[in-house]
Formats: sequence, structure tokens, C-alpha cells
Amino acid sequence: MKSLWGRIPLHGSGMTLTIVFIFGFVILVVTSGGTLLSHLAISSLLIYLAVPILIGMAQMVVLAVGQMNLAIGAMGGATSALMAVLMTDHGLPVWAAIIAGLACSTALGALNGVLVVLTRLNGFIVTLGTMTMLLGVQYLLVRTFTVDGYPDWLKKAGLQTVVGIPYMFLTAILTAIVVSWYFSRTIAGRRLLATGGNPLAARLSGISNDASVFQAHVISGVLVGIASLVTIASAPGINRSIGGDWLLPSFAAAIIGGVMLTGGAVAVFGTVMAACVLRLVDVARAQYSLDTSWVNFVVGVVVLFTVALSEWRQRRSTLQKMTAEVPE
Amino acid sequence: MTFALEASGLVKEFPGVRALDGVNLTLRPGTIHALLGENGAGKSTLVKIITGVHQADRGELRMAGEVRHFQSPLEAAHAGIGVVHQERNVVPAFTVAENITLQDPPRRMGIVDRDRQRRMASEALVTLGVDIDLDARVGDLSVAQVQLVEIAKALAFSSQVLLLDEPTASLTGSEAEKLFEVLQTLRDQGTAIVFVSHKLEEVFAICDTVTVLRDGVSVLESATLREHSRRQIVDLMVGRELAEQPVRHRTVDRSITAALRLERVNTGLGHRDVDLVVYPGEIYGLYGLVGAGRSELARCLLGLHPVTGGQIVLDGTPVRIRNMEEALHRYRIGYVTEDRKEEGLFFEMPVRHNVAVTVWRRLSRGIRGVSQRAENDVTSRYVDQLDIKVASNQQLVGTLSGGNQQKVSLAKWLAADTQLLIMDEPTVGVDVRTKADFHELILDLADRGLAIVLISSDLPEMIALADRISVMKEYRIVGTIDNNKDYPKMSVQIMDAIHETVHTVA
Repeated sequence: MKSLWGRIPLHGSGMTLTIVFIFGFVILVVTSGGTLLSHLAISSLLIYLAVPILIGMAQMVVLAVGQMNLAIGAMGGATSALMAVLMTDHGLPVWAAIIAGLACSTALGALNGVLVVLTRLNGFIVTLGTMTMLLGVQYLLVRTFTVDGYPDWLKKAGLQTVVGIPYMFLTAILTAIVVSWYFSRTIAGRRLLATGGNPLAARLSGISNDASVFQAHVISGVLVGIASLVTIASAPGINRSIGGDWLLPSFAAAIIGGVMLTGGAVAVFGTVMAACVLRLVDVARAQYSLDTSWVNFVVGVVVLFTVALSEWRQRRSTLQKMTAEVPE
Repeated sequence: MTFALEASGLVKEFPGVRALDGVNLTLRPGTIHALLGENGAGKSTLVKIITGVHQADRGELRMAGEVRHFQSPLEAAHAGIGVVHQERNVVPAFTVAENITLQDPPRRMGIVDRDRQRRMASEALVTLGVDIDLDARVGDLSVAQVQLVEIAKALAFSSQVLLLDEPTASLTGSEAEKLFEVLQTLRDQGTAIVFVSHKLEEVFAICDTVTVLRDGVSVLESATLREHSRRQIVDLMVGRELAEQPVRHRTVDRSITAALRLERVNTGLGHRDVDLVVYPGEIYGLYGLVGAGRSELARCLLGLHPVTGGQIVLDGTPVRIRNMEEALHRYRIGYVTEDRKEEGLFFEMPVRHNVAVTVWRRLSRGIRGVSQRAENDVTSRYVDQLDIKVASNQQLVGTLSGGNQQKVSLAKWLAADTQLLIMDEPTVGVDVRTKADFHELILDLADRGLAIVLISSDLPEMIALADRISVMKEYRIVGTIDNNKDYPKMSVQIMDAIHETVHTVA
């Protein structure tokens, strides 16, 4: 594990965001008179971090290969609905429904991947299509009802804590560590980044770009599956609105976290910290009973500002590098 | 006599490199002026300063005796300077008339004045003496017609000075002839034309005066072309350093099994009956003009395009190579690409990953993944061996100099322990000293037993390195010559091989 944490850069978006988070958190704690430090407040802060972290990474993986996944919310919605319906209407045991759900989201990711590779269309267009299809599927599964006929213990399972940390949050963090390992150490992960960075050079280096693109979509599917799982393990019921508000946060977390839209790079730590900062904005909203529309406005501004800033930083550093002498 | 354009003492620095270091050029009305120089000599920078894309740090630019420094391409265009860049600058979905007036469409009350637009476009085409439908979509035109539209576009405002950067690169022989007729018409009307080209035949056929750039300096300034021989011009372009490099004679053992043998190979890209043999330790040169099919042959060997007939024999065994992965991991063939940035390297990744990308599989240790230490060891070995200047193995490749980048793109193939290395224009865009280093390096690799196929359009380089040289023309090999590394004799033989086939093909 040491090598993994040692890899976390002490500069760049991740570190900046950590400072922003600590700063913002302290301000909130002070202005709220310390109520934010209560056990309940902390654990609710962490609980609602799990999904943003997971979907942020699901988007990050696809961005890394140079594409986008617009179907993240629809995949999550359909997967959650499927699990709920299997348990409620078909009496499947919890473990079987979970396996079915994970298999479903993985298959949906694979479907995106296959379609992108076979049609040679951009991932943006393919996932726009599958998103629309899946919204229909989700509606067919739950209609206008809230499906909640699955065991009560499951609805609260994610909220249980171990040494004060909710299982949901733990799941998200463990997943982040695995994703980080995947990109830094495995051949497949590095090849995926190579494809995103320069597909022509990747091909000439003996890397199959098709395999990389397929893989990115499959992993995105797996991560959405985990996000659906923590959703069902913390929500009182599943209806057709689940997943409807996942798409924007997934981009926001990845982009604020420092992932380039052009592909070739990931920022796991940055994405996690970006999700934390976004979550803090939400907490502030609750704390001061701010209007939700203003919160959205602020998030939008932050996204634009961060992208502009990273673009500017990149351009400046390229210029510096161009002028820098290479030591003899 | 007044000059159409006068440049004196132009200096232009970019971060880390002085692209122009004192360039003088005078251009008379009614002449075609050749601007020559090797890659990186500063031709494009000069063209861009004259046309307002870049601004000179020092020096003066005069038009008709008056000092002018253009802040933008539009300003230059209105002053009567037109340019056709090497890359196409047309909008395929627009009509011919719209494209010709693209830079500054005629307007009336803020709306495009269609009548005046058509009139301007038609006048420009008449000046050229060509007939193209004003309402045709440019996307539907032939390459040669698009080229003419580009020239008309450059002339839309006025026609005092016209700059053409490699205008014939994508044209066939007869299309180029047609273009030359147009240029001669323009010259006779008093236009001053700057003609940038690599093809000396063309330059000698149509140009009146010449300026040669080398390393950002004008080493021959606005001289009359007829007073200089081809040989003199080439020497001025490449410089003395290269011409005086010691010749290294090598012997190749051709009694052993050939590393690569092609027998009457046909490909899906159009190669016909290609025969060639490369032995271990041999540098096999593949010479030809741009578009002769050399890089394309390399790509077919790598499995990127289909081989439709004949046989490929590697180390005595007939093979079918289906994709690059197989070419690399199974048959140990490497390919150093011509275009480092587009195809060779991952600019945003560290040196370490760029070198080890071909051997990650070998460096992987089960669940622990790719061993960082092994990756570092491999990288350091080749950084030392090829003398690559890096701050650390972690440095991003995009931040290295051109020569060092090229060495990294070579290192990844050496790391993969390739037996056959195809090098496509290995010294394009690197400076003279790095080029000499690279030549040493290529000879050393061959001495160690690597079979090398060298693709190069640089004749002195080809003659300095190759053991045998095949000339490729129109996707066929038209002659193979043993190279005795005597430049004057070999260059004549190679040129003959290219020209003889012009007759046999025609």
C-alpha cells in the first residue's frame, strides 16, 4: 500500500483540492458552531460521498481512453431497478440479485464498448444512444412506483459503520485504491492510457486500441455497478429517478479532479478529492438552507473555472519546459 | 529598380531555438524565386514572418521601399501578399467563390455581398487562366483543382507577392505541369513569386532566382539560379560538415541466412512484385521520392495493411504477419516512425513508459504488476547506451529536444530486442550535430548484427549509411545498387535509376 499512497502527487489538482476541502470544512465547522463534527454529521458527509466518487471514476476511465460515457446515470438507474425488481417481484435472494446487478452493469459497459469498436462511432454518440434506451428500460422495470419490497437490513447495510466509517464510503475508497493500482501497475491499465494518449503510437507499439476502448467501457460498467450497489444499500426504495442526477457530477468530479478530456491520463486521488469538495458545497447548502439552484450555479462555475485554470497551467508549463535546458 | 519585397537581417527566436538568425531576401516583380533549405532550416518561419503569422524579433521588411511589419495574416493579405501554405486551408463544405474570398468576404451592411463575392472570385480565376465552376463545392473538386482554388484565394486581394510552400507535394506530374503554367502566367503579369520546394528538378525548371537557408541563416542570397549548378546548391543546403564526414566502409556477410527476404510481394496498397533481401548486420536503403510507396511497404510488413501475394521470409521461415502485436512480439520487427509526435511517442508520458511500452509483458510480475525497478533498469540501460539527455527517467517525453525524442523512439525497439528494424526518415527535423550522432548510432547497431531497413529521402544520408540501395518508384522497386559511399558517383546512379523508369512507366 505504501507505494500506492507514495504515488499520490504532492502537487497538482489532488493536492490543491485537499487544501480547498480542509479550508472549506474548517470554515463550515466554525460557522456552524461545531455541529458538523458530530458523529452523525460526519457519517452523513461520508455516506453521500460514495456515489460521487464511484461515478466520477466511472467517467474518468472512459475519459482516459479519450471518450465519454453519457450513459452512466441511465446504466446505474437500470441496474438499481433490476436488482430491486428481482428481489421484490421475483423473490431472488439478496446475494443473487447483487450478482445479477453487477453482471448487468458490466454487460452494459461491454455493450457500449462493443458498439464503439464495431461501429467506429464516437463513444459520445454511442452512449447517448444507450442512455436513451436504458432510460426506457428503467421505466419499464419500475414504472411510476417506488420498489422497496426487499429486506430492510439491506436498505441500511451501507449506513452501518466500522470504527465510525460507513461501509459505503469504505467500499468507494477500496475501489479507488484498486483503480489506482490498475492504472499504475497492470499492463492492461497502462495500455489503456497509451491508447488514450496517442492511439497511432499505441498501435505501432503493438497495442490493440480496440481492446483498450472495450476495456475502458467494461470497467466503467463495473464501477457503475458498484455505485448501484451502494445506492440500493442506502436508499429506502428504488424509483425511476435513481441515476437521473449522476451524469453531471460524474464529469464534474473527473474534470475538477484533473483528468484531461483529450485522454491519456487519470487522476484517481484528484477525482476523489473533487467529489469531496463538491460534497462540501452540498453540506453548505444544507447548513445555510441555500437554494438548490444556486448550488448548481456554483458547481457549474467551479467546473468551468477549474478547466480553464488547468488549461492555462498546462500551457504555461509546456512553455517552461520548452525553454528549460536539459542538463548535460 | 524597386523590389516587390525586401527582407534584411531577420531574426526570430522561439523558446529554446533561434529559428532565423539573420536572413536577407530581395524579391523582384515578375520573377519566380526559389527558397531552399533542409528541414528545420527556417523556410516556414520566414514564410510565416513575411505573411504576418509571426513577427520578427529583429530586422526589417520592406514593400516597394516602405518598411512594413504585419501584425496579422489579414494585414499582409491586404498589403498584397498572398500565401498558399503546405497544409490545405479550405472549407470543403463551402463553394469555390466562398473559399476564394474566405479571408475577408465582401460585405454590404454586414451581410455577405454575393455578387461582389462571385466577381472577385471570378477575377482571381481569370488571372490564373483556369476555369473552375464558382458554385461547385470545394469538397467535390480534385486535389489539383483545390490547389488552384488556394492560389486564387491567395490572389483575391491583389497579386504583388505570392508565396507557395511545397505546392506540388500532393500533385501528380501532369498536375504539377499545369500549376507551373499558371505560375508562369502570373510571373509574366508581374507577380513576384516565392517557391518553396524540396524537388530540385522543379526548382531548376521554373525558378529565376534563389535563396538558400541553412540553420536559420541565408547562405545564398537572391542569386540568379542559372549561375549555380545543382551540386553547388545541394552543398549549400546540407553544408560542409556533412559532406566532409568520414566515410565508414563496412562489409556484410551475405553467406548466412537473410534476416528478411521478400519474394514477388504484392500488397493491398498497390505494391507489385517487390523483391528484396536484407542480411543481419546490413543497412538496406530504400530510396525514392515522397509518395513512392516506401513507408507504405513498411506498414504492410508490420501487418497494418494486407499482403496480397508473394512471400515474406523471416530468418529462413515463410511467415504471415497479421498485426503489429505479432510483428513485434513474435517476429521481433521494430518500426521507427517518421512522425515522432503523431505516431512514435506518448508525449504526456514519462521516458520510462515510452521506452518500456514494448516490454511491459516481460516486466510484469503477476499480481504485483509491472515491476517499477525492472522498468527503470531497462530505461536506464538504453538512456546510457544511446546517450539520451534526460533529467530523470520520469521526465515527460514531450519536454525533450527533437533529437532526444528520436532516440527514445529508437530505444523502445532496442528494449524489445528486435532483430529487424525499419527506420523511416530517422533524422528528419533534428539538427546537424544530432544527425551525425544518429548516423554513428545506426552504423553501430548494424555492426552489432541488427538488420536495418533505412527509408530516407535524404540522399547524402542514404549514401553515407546504406550498404545497398534500392530505388522505389510508384510502388515498385526499379533498381538495386551496391553502395560504394562515393557521393558524386552514387548520386548520379540513383538519379538515373529514378529517371530511367520515368520512360519505362510512360
